[in-house]
Amino acid sequence: MGNAFFVVWRESLEAFLIAGILYAWLQANDATGKGKRALFIGLGAGVGLALLLGWALLTVQDELTGEALETFQTATLFIAAGLITQMVLWMRKHGRQMKARLHADLAAARERSGYFGVAVVAALAVAREGAETVIFLYGMAQEGDLSALLLGSLAGFAGAGATAWLAAKSLARLNIALLLRLSSILLLILASALLIAAIDRLIGAGTLPPLLDPVWDTSMLIDDTTKAGKLLADFSGYRARPALSSLLVWAAYWGVVLFAWRRTGRG
Amino acid sequence: MNTARLLFIFSLFFQSTVATAADMPTYKLLMKDGRIHPETLEVPAMTRFRLEVKNEGPGAAEFESLELKKELVLAPGVTRNLVFFPMKPGTYKFFDDFHPETGQGKIVAK
Repeated sequence: MGNAFFVVWRESLEAFLIAGILYAWLQANDATGKGKRALFIGLGAGVGLALLLGWALLTVQDELTGEALETFQTATLFIAAGLITQMVLWMRKHGRQMKARLHADLAAARERSGYFGVAVVAALAVAREGAETVIFLYGMAQEGDLSALLLGSLAGFAGAGATAWLAAKSLARLNIALLLRLSSILLLILASALLIAAIDRLIGAGTLPPLLDPVWDTSMLIDDTTKAGKLLADFSGYRARPALSSLLVWAAYWGVVLFAWRRTGRG
Repeated sequence: MNTARLLFIFSLFFQSTVATAADMPTYKLLMKDGRIHPETLEVPAMTRFRLEVKNEGPGAAEFESLELKKELVLAPGVTRNLVFFPMKPGTYKFFDDFHPETGQGKIVAK
């Protein structure tokens, strides 16, 4: 029961957080309600995708399909990291345009692609971790203890929802400029964590050389194999023993993001 | 724009690799009931090897190690292979992410 709670909470927190931050932002910046509709459509599609992917992972027995699915999962990490980054930059631009009151037709065209992005990001966030939750819950059901499973997982979902609600609520209390800034930073950190996870998968599969592994070892300070350390690793991309190629990618990511951030600020 | 460029750069890195596993030593690992057998696995250092992970259930298991950069979800009854690249001598921790309380293990490379 305790284990089901923790695993479900952790696996669904990321999706709830992304949804919560997007919701808080749309609440403040989008009066039409279209953005929120896109968000909910995306979340719904994500649940469907999660079930599908979970089912695919469960039925996989042979090595080749397993490899293909792993490749697919790595690809979704890259896509999610890229889309979240793009969306944050879009949000920044969009927020400025609203203030500048640009022509309505131009804004509408940009809005449509932006909302599509919102929906895709929400769907991917749910699908990725949702698939693992599906497998975990399926396994728990096989173990037989259904009432504990139901209680634990419902509590886990509720806990994750409450955590995200709290985050969104406290974000929404800030003024709009601060809300935009803070939610952007949170989303970018999350995107960088996804990117590091994807790079780790590539290194683990032997596709990408680690160059130097590890560059340093900070497990004495924060050990990423403990429960709390693992959470930090999942959400910030922290690694106690990072490989050089991970560090390079991480630095390149923040370099590109900071450059784009300045440019959207000027434009 | 920048994101598109970023994605393109990463797509260059990205190729699927199929591990050819015939010519390397194989070790077996059993995940069962939230526990890992054996909990300590000794392997030769600086040697490529294959780990055959079997999940006997009854629940699902997830072999995970941030140090070793491996993450593998196993439904009950599934056996999968992981290929490890030459490791420096040392101790590397791994765990069952679906049973973090009981499922802890380590690989010792000598």
